[in-house]
Amino acid sequence: MILEALLAVTFAAALLVFAAPDEYAPKLAFGLSLLPIAGSLYLWSAFESGGNALTGGEIAFNTVVPWLEVAGYQLQWYVGLDGISLPLVILTTFLTSLAIVSAWTPIDERQSQFYGLMLLMEANLIGVFTALDFFLWFVFWEAVLVPMYFLIGIWGGPRRKYAAIKFFVYTNIASLVMFIGFMMLVIGLPVNSFGLPEITQSLAAGELGNFFWLPADTLALVAFAAMFIGFAVKVPVVPVHTWLPDAHVEAPTPVSVMLAGVLLKMGTYALLRFNYTMLPEQAQYFAVPIAIIAVVSVIYGAMLALAQEDLKRIVAYSSVSSMGYVLLGLVAFTEFGLGGATFQMIAHGLISGLMFMAVGVIYNATHTRLVGDMSGLADRMPIAVWILVAGAFAYMGLPLMAGFAGEFFIFVGSFGSTVLPYAPVFTAVAMFGIVIVAGYLLRAMQGTLFGPFNLETDYELDRAPIHDVAPLVALLAAIIVLGVVPSLFFDMIRDATVPLLELLGGGAP
Amino acid sequence: MVPPEYYLVLSAAIFCIGLFGILTRRNALYFLMSAELMLNAAVINLVAFSFQWGNLTGQTFALFVIALAAAEVAVGIGIVLVLYRNFGDVDVLNAATMRW
Amino acid sequence: MVSASAYVPAIVLLPFVSFIVALFGRENLPKRGAYGGIAATAGSLLLSLWVLVSVRNGAAFQETYYTWATGAGAQDWTLTFGALIDPLSVLMLVIVSLVAMLVHIFSLGYMNDEDERDLPRYYAGLGLFTASMLGFVIADNLLMAFMFFELVGLCSYLLIGFHFREPGPPSAAKKAFLVTRFGDYFFLVGVVAVFTTFGTAAFAGAESFPALAEAALNGEATVWTPGGLEVSTWFTIVGLLILGGVIGKSAQFPLHTWLPDAMEGPTPVSALIHAATMVAAGVYLVARMYGFYVLSPTTMAIIAFVGGFTALFAATMGVVKRELKQVLAYSTISQYGYMMLALGSGGYVAAVFHLTTHAFFKALLFLGAGSVIIAMHHNEDMWDMGGLKDKLPVTYWTFLAGSLALAGIFPFAGFWSKDEILYEALIHGLDEPLILGAYVMGLLAVPVTAFYTFRMVFLTFHGEPRSSLARDPHPVRWNVKGPLSVLGILAVVTGGINLVPVQKVLNIEGIDYLHLWLDNHWGGIEGLSSHHYAELDPYSSQYLFGGEVPTVLAGAAASLGLAIGGLALAWVLYNVADPDEHTDKLGGLKELLYNNYYQDEFQVWVADNTQSVAGGADTFDQGVIDGVVNGVSSVSLLSSERIRRIQSGVVSNYALLLTLGLTTLLVVFGLIGGWF
Repeated sequence: MILEALLAVTFAAALLVFAAPDEYAPKLAFGLSLLPIAGSLYLWSAFESGGNALTGGEIAFNTVVPWLEVAGYQLQWYVGLDGISLPLVILTTFLTSLAIVSAWTPIDERQSQFYGLMLLMEANLIGVFTALDFFLWFVFWEAVLVPMYFLIGIWGGPRRKYAAIKFFVYTNIASLVMFIGFMMLVIGLPVNSFGLPEITQSLAAGELGNFFWLPADTLALVAFAAMFIGFAVKVPVVPVHTWLPDAHVEAPTPVSVMLAGVLLKMGTYALLRFNYTMLPEQAQYFAVPIAIIAVVSVIYGAMLALAQEDLKRIVAYSSVSSMGYVLLGLVAFTEFGLGGATFQMIAHGLISGLMFMAVGVIYNATHTRLVGDMSGLADRMPIAVWILVAGAFAYMGLPLMAGFAGEFFIFVGSFGSTVLPYAPVFTAVAMFGIVIVAGYLLRAMQGTLFGPFNLETDYELDRAPIHDVAPLVALLAAIIVLGVVPSLFFDMIRDATVPLLELLGGGAP
Repeated sequence: MVPPEYYLVLSAAIFCIGLFGILTRRNALYFLMSAELMLNAAVINLVAFSFQWGNLTGQTFALFVIALAAAEVAVGIGIVLVLYRNFGDVDVLNAATMRW
Repeated sequence: MVSASAYVPAIVLLPFVSFIVALFGRENLPKRGAYGGIAATAGSLLLSLWVLVSVRNGAAFQETYYTWATGAGAQDWTLTFGALIDPLSVLMLVIVSLVAMLVHIFSLGYMNDEDERDLPRYYAGLGLFTASMLGFVIADNLLMAFMFFELVGLCSYLLIGFHFREPGPPSAAKKAFLVTRFGDYFFLVGVVAVFTTFGTAAFAGAESFPALAEAALNGEATVWTPGGLEVSTWFTIVGLLILGGVIGKSAQFPLHTWLPDAMEGPTPVSALIHAATMVAAGVYLVARMYGFYVLSPTTMAIIAFVGGFTALFAATMGVVKRELKQVLAYSTISQYGYMMLALGSGGYVAAVFHLTTHAFFKALLFLGAGSVIIAMHHNEDMWDMGGLKDKLPVTYWTFLAGSLALAGIFPFAGFWSKDEILYEALIHGLDEPLILGAYVMGLLAVPVTAFYTFRMVFLTFHGEPRSSLARDPHPVRWNVKGPLSVLGILAVVTGGINLVPVQKVLNIEGIDYLHLWLDNHWGGIEGLSSHHYAELDPYSSQYLFGGEVPTVLAGAAASLGLAIGGLALAWVLYNVADPDEHTDKLGGLKELLYNNYYQDEFQVWVADNTQSVAGGADTFDQGVIDGVVNGVSSVSLLSSERIRRIQSGVVSNYALLLTLGLTTLLVVFGLIGGWF
């Protein structure tokens, strides 16, 4: 019942904050957001690593309650955790609290609605990562979009409506494609519920039948492709990434943090849970094209970041690049590859959150994000700037910070993959991203943070307030801790991803 | 006994007159009257078939339609009044604000 | 008695603690962080010496301290942190901690006495730099080495860019990090390849990757290779990949361009980077995994040739520079070229020997230059100096000792080590044309080195003062003179640890201490001895003039003669009261050299082009990819704009449409249903 309690508390917190007057909303939201953190930490402490939830491993904290019966399918309230979802739940609760604190400075109107929506989004995100019934999962999956739409559309920048609608429509159409693909798969299976474990195990047992005139083999390929397209938009990968920079640029800082930190992970999480867990053989069939997409995302995303002048756009495009690594880890389908991909989701969530927050702190003070508009900020806002530098190095994959662990696991895992032909070539090309990322981040830092002080806008620069800096410090600490002790999460992730390899009968050499 | 075809022809004729009125007139009152004609055409059909099959369902429906027509006239006249109040006229082409 | 080995982690952690203290203590610290750093590095030095003594007594060891991550299934690799304490690493520990401590002390004079801002940040950087390098030195596997290698790069970025309020240093820092990152990319691919190939990255032991590689080449073990590649070819590729990192960090051609720019950092930092930390890391890495490199003749030849070429190439650029530190920068590149030449031509001990002597005399020269710069109120142009000899006697004499060592003049430290390198390259190169070519380039670099070194000495210290600054220099204090004196003595005497030519010529046994030391004479780790490497390397020795002794003498005579020749030329041209810029006579050649063969322009060109490619990608992205997305949206918007015109608002039209629709439906159903 603990997961239900966690969800209920988060939803209740959202309602409470909606009802609260604007002047109390920020502090109240922060205070209430500590409850889900406590809950997720309790989950962590009580969690015992035991395989993958979908392939028949032990499911922690699970509840199954039949709900409705529709067209011969039992819909259930079915939630539970395993080593893949638990770190993401912790990431969600942790990042939401920090994002709420980082909103104190920039958000100065309709606070109770803003914080209420943030908490509502958190609740839905927890739902996405814990739901194990497709119908339930899909409800949460779609429900995440609603608060996000309003958060961008109401509190965003000048082109907020364009960005919000683009984001909503793009991801919603993708969801539709995915939904159709998945439904075809379910109809082809002799199951009578939408429970993800049942579906996975039925697929693993080879029970997939025909879908009307489509033979089972083709059906599996079509379903894989449809789901891949649907989730790829969410990740996002090249060439379906263009909603991301617009959404990030228009979104206020805390919303960017959530978008980059958690929402993008929904895509890769779903890829891992659906495509790579349910249809590993089809994944093997599509390995080369997907690896090409991954490598192109890494390199092309990084090149785009190199061309940007807006700090937020730089970080946004670099997210495309970093998520390309995750995809590479998935497609390699090895112990370190899958584990590294999942670990990289957490690492990138923390690091991109830190980067967006730090850029936000600078924006709060300077009211500009253009590289050319400022220089030498390190002189005026030393602590925020040096944390930004640390975050940038984390992004570049500096050892002993979380980003390196994730990237290294992916690289070392994918280099010798037997699933992916030409794996060493793909890996080596993708790794060149670590040079380009250093190029654009160092260039941006040199332009804005160092050199003689100059600011084009007319604002007095002061040291950033403590509640702006505190979340940065917390994130940096988390990044370093995970970089030094990756096994905190990596062990449970590994236990949950290794069973997937058995589906294919082994992995790397 | 009058063959049913005669009723049907009568009904069709009245219906077409009503339809013609709706398509060509611009005065809202004519609209109402035309609608009444079309409804009555339907009622004739119902009664005719009821008579044909010796079954009262059709006549029941006819009563319903008459009640409905009365209600419709009440609402219709209301709309016509509002039209007149807003546009000083009962020309339906004036009330074209509900468009793209 | 507690064994020294238990304290090895403390060697690394002490400077790290000083980093933490300086980071959080900020301005409240005594001497704003300097004392903490000095205490920490002194502690590291003492512990290192203790460990050195214990290794001398046969207590070399390898130990895993911490498991970073473990895999499973087919990739059940453990990624660990551990220490490999053998004669090589403990020697390096002593060098690094000694130089780091002296640099900290010197910084009191160079930074504190000059009232620089942000000193805690400076000392934090130094502490982290030292800690990273020490961690790199003790690393017992390639992954750990890579991690600390990268941290060293980070620290160089922070310290080169220390004066971030000026435009130059941040730019130089960026360049340093980026160029070395480019090398590290290959290194990282190499690390990943090593894990995939061998399943381990340990340096030492029967299950280490050099041992497994050796076994695989002998057909005693099977390893993974991509696409069924030949094992030896694959090892060559892996070796070259890792070499990429070495070339970046050790500033070898073509990735050396960051190093002269890195002179933007404070001078003590330059001393640390050049003598003991960052640049040394590359060469040390090759020495550390030498057992792997010797297995691949191609890689060895490439290392030697790159080294020889860099030695000559960098030396020529040093000839025309105006700034004191620039000359030293190019000499560093050149000297590391010698070490690479030694490693590539099978002279493992010679390379380590030169690494040691160079660490001392280059630290000395940089600190000496720092002292001159203090005296000159931070003017570095040698043409504004002159006549400082009498005003800065301690600096002069120690700097002179360092210069003689750098130029390779008997009996200073540099002579012995450079001579041994050239000797090894010669005897191994007589039937290997590539090595011989590298040897010739190394030999040609000797007079050039002596010339630019003494051009620098004469311009700086001799003749008449050429500016008011030089006439009235700022005095320096004990904290400058102390480190200079220590290093000055070391620059003179360090050659004594390895008097191989003397041993060979006079036939005295047992004075080639370094040879014995690295050959596990007093104990070490199995498989990591110079003896073992010599058995594996692809070279055979050939001698000139019918024997070993004549070859030794001829080689030494050649290098010493050339060095003295270069020195003499510098003497004639520059040891006068008011020297001319003789290098102007080189005309276009001088321009070419002064502009570093236009390689910086080339790199700027590469950077600019990358930037324009990125700009093109952005245009493509916004125009084509996002254009398609927006196009889909505009098409839907446009068509809906057209279609909604049906909604005219006129009731009659709706009625007409209804009627027409109904009629159409009726007709269609009629046709399908066959009513007509």
